[in-house]
Amino acid sequence: MKKPASRSLIALSTSALALPGIAEADAPPLTSSLSYKISNYQEDDLSREQVPFGELERYDIDVHQFQFVSPLGRDYALFINANHENMSGASPWFSTAGSNGQPVINMSGASGIYDSRSEVSLGVRYYGARGNIGGAIGYSEENDYRAKYVSMSGSRNFNNDLTTLTVSLSHSDDSIFPSDAERFNRVRHENKQASSVAVSLSQVLNPVASFQTALSLTGQSGYLSDPYKLQDSRPDEKTQIAFSNSLRYFFIEADGALQSDYRYYRDDFGIRSHTLDLSWFQNVTRSFKIVPMLRYYSQSAADFYTSIDDFLKPLSESQSSDYRLSAFGAVSGGLSLVADFGGWSATLTAERYVANEKYSAFTVAQPSPGLVQFTRLSLGVDYAF
Amino acid sequence: MPAKMRLILSSITLALLAACSQVQPWERGYLAKQEMAWDSDPLERALNDHIFFSKEASSGGNTAAGGGCGCN
Repeated sequence: MKKPASRSLIALSTSALALPGIAEADAPPLTSSLSYKISNYQEDDLSREQVPFGELERYDIDVHQFQFVSPLGRDYALFINANHENMSGASPWFSTAGSNGQPVINMSGASGIYDSRSEVSLGVRYYGARGNIGGAIGYSEENDYRAKYVSMSGSRNFNNDLTTLTVSLSHSDDSIFPSDAERFNRVRHENKQASSVAVSLSQVLNPVASFQTALSLTGQSGYLSDPYKLQDSRPDEKTQIAFSNSLRYFFIEADGALQSDYRYYRDDFGIRSHTLDLSWFQNVTRSFKIVPMLRYYSQSAADFYTSIDDFLKPLSESQSSDYRLSAFGAVSGGLSLVADFGGWSATLTAERYVANEKYSAFTVAQPSPGLVQFTRLSLGVDYAF
Repeated sequence: MPAKMRLILSSITLALLAACSQVQPWERGYLAKQEMAWDSDPLERALNDHIFFSKEASSGGNTAAGGGCGCN
């Protein structure tokens, strides 16, 4: 005869299932939470060698993020996100050959650019016995750009909840209406659409490790050029594929956890990239953590990237001197301090990002003089009630 | 899907199946810690996604994308 499970074993199992990480896939949050994060990141000024005339100052951006999460009854949860950001500064406008034949940048915004972006999204999720399903709608507005988007995702647990399959879909419908369009002969009003599908598979490997692999496919169509660049013409279709792998590993002796994420990306603009993110969560006391982070990124150039704009080339042929389409590498490092006081927690983060063609894992045929470096500071506060 | 991608996906699936053991619910305490979550700080992840989207050509990852921006 089968021996009945002991009461203590049942109690222990029930407690374990109620832990937030385990219950995450199948149950709404147990409490409501309110989060706020304020961040500032400032791009380094360019040098007079890179920009012979005009502004050297690049963007300075303040970001405010809010999130409210609450259980709705026994099986549902509500998610509300709101963001607001203010930016000022200047960005590369076009690129020409300098006196030594090397590319130099001409900046936009002789008197500076000022813009702001506000975004709000609302989501609801249902949690069932073997998984969850939910959706969200969002709206984002800038002085010259508007995005409306919708997303849906569902997860199903298998294999005693050790394996989770997640499928997500999203669609965004964006409008572009550049400032000073008549004055600078820019497009007046354009649209673009983006649709994505992503599939991920998560697997618990053992009591201290889990692994996730994911594939996402995004199709974009419409006006994909940068209306503020003087000679920028890109194809009006783009397909992007990202293949991601993540590992979480808890080191019991060290009382710390490793988060490791790698992504391979490619698109039909000709860009391929590698991204490696590593974070180490070191528990110092029960309520204090130190989190050093390191990220490496490298991409190849778009097929139509040029470091010096060719103004004789018709706009019907693709070309762009946007530094984001050049081949480069970027290294960023940061440190977060996390303090947890019961229902309250606070996180202070500092990060430094440096992009340089010398860090590239790909061939750099035409280095861009406009690569960016920035420093970010963030302070986040979370309150659970 | 290219043959190379199919091979990589199949290899990962096989490696996962070979590596995993039956972990009982009461053995999942470490896995339940916040730092072991796939998305342990959603606001930090959203901020990073937005910043890197505006500085680099790559985007996309474990979930479907949200709305775009006029990040110039």
